[in-house]
Amino acid sequence: MLEQLLIFTRGGLILWTCKEIGNALKGSPIDTLIRSCLLEERSGDVSFNYDAHGAAYTLKWTFHNDLGLVFVAVYQRILHLLYVDDLLSLVKQSFAEIYDPKRMAYDDFDETFRQLRKEAESRAEELRKTKQVGKPLGNVKKQGQVSKSGLEGGNKRISESGGSKKDDGDGNKAKVGNLTNGHSNGNHQMEDDSQTSDLANGKENTTDNVALDLSKLQKLRSKGVRGRGGIRKADSIGNKGSKVTAAEPAKKATKKNRVWDDAAPKQEKLDFTDSVDENGNNDHVDIVAADQGESMMDKEEVFSSDSESEDDDEPGSDEKPEAKKKGWFSSVFQSITGKANLERTDLEPALKALKERLMTKNVAEEIAGKLCESVEASLEGKKLASFTRISSTVQGAMEDALVRILTPRRSIDILRDVHAAKEQRRPYVVVFVGVNGVGKSTNLAKVAYWLLQHNVSVMMAACDTFRSGAVEQLRTHARRLQIPIFEKGYEKDPAVVAKEAIQEATRNGSDVVLVDTAGRMQDNEPLMRALSKLINLNNPDLVLFVGEALVGNDAVDQLSKFNQKLSDLSPTGNRSLIDGILLTKFDTIDDKVGAALSMVYISGAPVMFVGCGQSYTDLKKLNVKSIVKTLLK
Amino acid sequence: MDNLEDLKILAEQWFHQGVEFFQQIPPTQLYAAIGVLLLTTILLVSIRLFRRTKSNTVLLSGLSGSGKTVLFYQLRDGSTHQGAVTSMEPNEGTFVLHTENIKKGKTKPVHLVDVPGHSRLRSKLEEYLPRAAAIVFVVDALEFLPNCRAASEYLYDILTNTSVVKNKIPVLLCCNKTDKVTAHTKEFIRKQMEKEIEKLRVSRSAVSSADIANDFTLGIEGELFSFLHCYNKVTVAEASGLTGDTDQVQEFIREYVKP
Ligand SMILES: Nc1nc2c(ncn2[C@@H]2O[C@H](COP(=O)(O)OP(=O)(O)OP(=O)(O)O)[C@@H](O)[C@H]2O)c(=O)[nH]1
Ligand SMILES: [Mg+2]
Repeated sequence: MLEQLLIFTRGGLILWTCKEIGNALKGSPIDTLIRSCLLEERSGDVSFNYDAHGAAYTLKWTFHNDLGLVFVAVYQRILHLLYVDDLLSLVKQSFAEIYDPKRMAYDDFDETFRQLRKEAESRAEELRKTKQVGKPLGNVKKQGQVSKSGLEGGNKRISESGGSKKDDGDGNKAKVGNLTNGHSNGNHQMEDDSQTSDLANGKENTTDNVALDLSKLQKLRSKGVRGRGGIRKADSIGNKGSKVTAAEPAKKATKKNRVWDDAAPKQEKLDFTDSVDENGNNDHVDIVAADQGESMMDKEEVFSSDSESEDDDEPGSDEKPEAKKKGWFSSVFQSITGKANLERTDLEPALKALKERLMTKNVAEEIAGKLCESVEASLEGKKLASFTRISSTVQGAMEDALVRILTPRRSIDILRDVHAAKEQRRPYVVVFVGVNGVGKSTNLAKVAYWLLQHNVSVMMAACDTFRSGAVEQLRTHARRLQIPIFEKGYEKDPAVVAKEAIQEATRNGSDVVLVDTAGRMQDNEPLMRALSKLINLNNPDLVLFVGEALVGNDAVDQLSKFNQKLSDLSPTGNRSLIDGILLTKFDTIDDKVGAALSMVYISGAPVMFVGCGQSYTDLKKLNVKSIVKTLLK
Repeated sequence: MDNLEDLKILAEQWFHQGVEFFQQIPPTQLYAAIGVLLLTTILLVSIRLFRRTKSNTVLLSGLSGSGKTVLFYQLRDGSTHQGAVTSMEPNEGTFVLHTENIKKGKTKPVHLVDVPGHSRLRSKLEEYLPRAAAIVFVVDALEFLPNCRAASEYLYDILTNTSVVKNKIPVLLCCNKTDKVTAHTKEFIRKQMEKEIEKLRVSRSAVSSADIANDFTLGIEGELFSFLHCYNKVTVAEASGLTGDTDQVQEFIREYVKP
């Protein structure tokens, strides 16, 4: 049964709901959908799962971009309703005809809806019957399309989305009527549940199951990082997690031994790994903590807008493909009149060029693709404004999307948080996590330096009890900055060391404890388990993921696995995931700033610091505007 | 070089001609001309100023879920229709408030903008601030405590925004959803938010933020923050968008967009 169908404006006013169905929705699935899917540039997804307040809904949606309307259908996930996509597009079609921006009540739509629903239901029923008889899929689908083509009127979304229907691993029987088509995998999903898991996008689910699962991650996030959490069904995470882990050992085993060797620390100015001899009394390290100037965190950044001039000539280049196809005159004419509604085919060349441009900036391919889908969904059917070109419209929409993504969802005012913790007479605990060799300790020292400058008393906790030399390295930083360090040597459980460090900090009144942890590859199960234990035992205020700005596609894998593992391995199931990102080596990447976008998109966490050099002062905030400009350059 | 010399000579000639011409004109006429010139410039300048101060844009801002959209439609149509969900785009309209419609007086329409509260859409607000005549900052009085800090941070950003400070845009702190008995009072909310902003003031003044352009510091050095210390006028009111109890909001709007 359909739980609810809503029609509302992008401004948020509900225009019509199905009163006939009547039963009130549990929780607020619609608001959650908007906040954690549509506004997170995931509207290119096929469906959205909502689990809270004892409800397990699946939501599907479609936009009418020209009229600025959104259509959302909600149904119980266990019922694999086959007609929802169909129904949504029928509703969209009919509602667009009677819609008038001045009109607020559409009671007369009730009757239309009843008919549409009957129509869609019976068609789905037919489809199922014919399929049970055993006809090949392709035929059935075509048949269905022919029968509805009269009404459909150029809406291609139905057929697209039918193929990538998402299953959530609940029971593997009822997938009979999986409308498969096009580029999706034609394989029958009935037998092998582990293969279907739930990839958001049908395009890629044949090959690698291990690859991240955006929708799952996103669900994890939407369950409410703090406070609201806990209601969620922990078991569903659990069994999904086990599925993923089962598929992994093969990949993991190869990279187990002393991985840090290939990411050997280069003699950086701030890296004392080797400069310190084991005997401990490293007198030659000058105690210069004093002052190295203002941390760049506090400096006003003047953004040179040299890219302005390039903006003008560059759209021309990516317009070539479509100009060729359509002929010069008609495209000019269209741009002047600005009448035609944008169609998928119009958008494709521009989007493809844009996706490639993003990828040259080192944005992970998967994410560039998702973003383009989302932009496409928001533009399809819209009227092109007069005197604008498709490419510039697409570019504008993408720019808005990028700004939205990179704008932090919550405040990233750490100093304010530190003060709040101080009021409660407890230290503010930050845990630095990440893979090997990304510069965790170095940047920890930079953060310490920045905090010191704001009269916050800092303590370091050396919880990297795994890699030899790590403690000494941190000790050197501590000495230079003249801040206390808590260490218990090696061979100790890092979780326990951290706990003792926090106790010590409470005793001596330190405001902030910065916890250094061992670098670990995202696939290293035992080490991830140890990290999860550390986090669960100590419940830090901030889990900061330290990542290299150099990474490309691997950014997605790292972050999603860290997030995934941390949440899977957490006993309560409601422990927050990564809260923030520290991007290192930002000075070495020139204009390849894509990692920032990939990481933020995949984790939903903001970039809190950017490490951009060799000295303590080289710590910045992320300048959203300049990043967006660089990405689209 | 020759060219330059020529030009110089030419310019000199013109100058002389000009002076002669002025000397020929009777002084009274000259004064009259200057007078007319001055008057027109004054008029033009004053018209521009006039226009500027007479902006009729009122912004509805506040966290997501505080009830802005409901309030918007209540003010426009006197009805909440079928309710609202999280906004993805601003709602905008120029109209005479619903209750005034009935009186049939000649009233000036208000340009009301409901700016979505979702933090990802915050940047939209900055587009509207420069032409705002007044801001209604809507706070959810029911779910106030869990949102207190986020709301205060948002309000802090508004109160320190360049346009708001420069144009002294008045702000109404509108405690919404007072139809429910469990709603907090406006006095409580004002005090809590003042406290919260005080804390922000301390931590933010430490960070001269590179990205968030808080160009101004709030309040008076060495004194606990109070809304009275703001550059602009900040007042508090209670309302309920759901039941249509919006008198105080309308009063506020009409104070700054004169009918
Ligand atoms: N009890 C009560 N509930 C209200 C009132 N005003 C709004 N609500 C409810 O609060 C919820 C959010 O209202 P919206 O108007 O959508 O909130 P908004 O401020 O526009 O939120 P965004 O668009 O996300 O910024 C809705 O479910 C309303 O029914 C009120 O005066 N009283
Ligand atoms: Mg709204």
